[in-house]
Amino acid sequence: MGNKLGRRKQVVDDKYTRPQGLYQHKDVDVKKLRKLILDSKLAPCYPGDDDCPNANLEECPICFLYYPSLNRSRCCMKGICTECFLQMKTPNSTRPTQCPFCKTSNYAVEYRGVKTKEEKGIEQIEEQRVIEAKIRMRQQELQDDEEKMHKRRELSTSSSIAGPSEIEYCSTAAPSFASAVEGGEVVTSQETCTAPTTRQPQRTRQNREDDFDLDLEDIMVMEAIWLSIQENGRNRSMDYSDVGPSEQYTEEDHRCVPAVNPTASGSSSSPSGGLACAIAALAERQQMSGESSSYSRNMSSSYNEHPSCDRFSNGEELENDDYPHAEGTMHVSPESHLEIPREDGEWADHGSMVAEVGTSYAVSDEMEDDASFPLQGEMVSDLQPNTSSIVPENFEEQMMLAMAVSLAEASARSSPPGVAWH
Amino acid sequence: MSASSASSRKTLSKIACNRLQKELAEWQVNPPAGFKHKVTDNLQRWVIEVIGAPGTLYADETYNLQVDFPEHYPMEAPQVIFVPPAPLHPHIYSNGHICLDILYDSWSPAMTVSSICISILSMLSSSTVKQRPEDNDRYVKNCRNGRSPKETRWWFHDDKV
Repeated sequence: MGNKLGRRKQVVDDKYTRPQGLYQHKDVDVKKLRKLILDSKLAPCYPGDDDCPNANLEECPICFLYYPSLNRSRCCMKGICTECFLQMKTPNSTRPTQCPFCKTSNYAVEYRGVKTKEEKGIEQIEEQRVIEAKIRMRQQELQDDEEKMHKRRELSTSSSIAGPSEIEYCSTAAPSFASAVEGGEVVTSQETCTAPTTRQPQRTRQNREDDFDLDLEDIMVMEAIWLSIQENGRNRSMDYSDVGPSEQYTEEDHRCVPAVNPTASGSSSSPSGGLACAIAALAERQQMSGESSSYSRNMSSSYNEHPSCDRFSNGEELENDDYPHAEGTMHVSPESHLEIPREDGEWADHGSMVAEVGTSYAVSDEMEDDASFPLQGEMVSDLQPNTSSIVPENFEEQMMLAMAVSLAEASARSSPPGVAWH
Repeated sequence: MSASSASSRKTLSKIACNRLQKELAEWQVNPPAGFKHKVTDNLQRWVIEVIGAPGTLYADETYNLQVDFPEHYPMEAPQVIFVPPAPLHPHIYSNGHICLDILYDSWSPAMTVSSICISILSMLSSSTVKQRPEDNDRYVKNCRNGRSPKETRWWFHDDKV
């Protein structure tokens, strides 16, 4: 009948136009629900089946019951039965409801009727492709890891000490799909690496090249410049150690200290990578601040609404269907939390937590603070006014610094915002 | 506030019961790596053994998670705590409470016990230091009356409090 043509009206038994009692709905606008179901805007409230006697039923991922057809979220196309959908909306919330699957705000669903054979076929093909892609990615990761290990061993002797900042890793950390189990394996492989402090600088460089188009030559020039400054200001470098940034930072966050600590690695060697590092950090910081802002936006919105137990027992106003399609929102799935890529070890983890805006646990605002590690604070005084003990004194030094900063800025700007989770 | 703990003591709704049975069945077929469900006849409280992932600070250490399901699971998050002794971790308090957003504000009914477990193991595995949260003593003292972590107003900062 009518439902054949564009599914405008569907013939639904009247008893399936109201909730079947899966939940104790309160405040459900029964009339509106009925209209939406008859208009094919929502799936009929068929009673869900406990198991799937034939392949023609779809399982609702919330109640785990089987239905002839489900609604689809506009953001990520995940299915949900009408009664579970009614539970998702929080009418008293100040915040638009998030998609339970991908956390996109302004959760909205549409109904496309029973899946056709073609649709099911396409889905199966897509699933197959996803699985294949995952396998390929996994293989690639393993391969990359091996290569890195080799490179690391080759270069670990030649690389000078630098103070890599933990935030550098976050740009590379985010777009990975390693599962927790895989992560475990990678961590293991890292354990076998015996020289963590010499390993990291080399990595820093790799990252820098990848992400900021700073080629090795630039960095070497910068390091040379830095060394010459260093020659002039040998006394000052002694001052750093007196200032004792290590202590200062240890108290604030144990995690950012070990690899960053310039005094620990010796005042003679550490500054050699210092300027390059400062550049990178500055560039990172710029990128970081972008990330951080979106991050804090997200977090603050989640603070607005502190869930209480009766959150879900409140009924449903059925306005959902009219929500505009959310655009440009972050598609951070709850599961993505599990996908913290391990290949960069502890630093990556820390960074990726920031990237995984929606679901990461216990991410601190302090990330922004910690983003400036001691050397950076010293070199770029405007970023860290409180550690402005070192200011370029002569014209030459100022020029060097300006060069370094502008180079970093330029490369930060020219590099794509980069992280896949955007 | 107190309603959440009260509701968690209420018996499971039909839908919660149904879903948990299915989750358990799925778990038995396909348990998350590193976890063991300790068999009881209580569907509303699961005790799950966690084994620290190899190559992490918690390798070969065994802990127990206690998962209590509220009446309106999965619309409402389960209460998940470590049975003391809890692992030494910057986000795990000595009373077993876990500072992990998906257990509270960021819970979604699309998550499952299995996905929670993987998140917790991931949190353990990414730890670089074995220590308690800085505010451990204060927090644990405040929870002496048996307060549920779900009643805590969590701030998902890092360990700098």
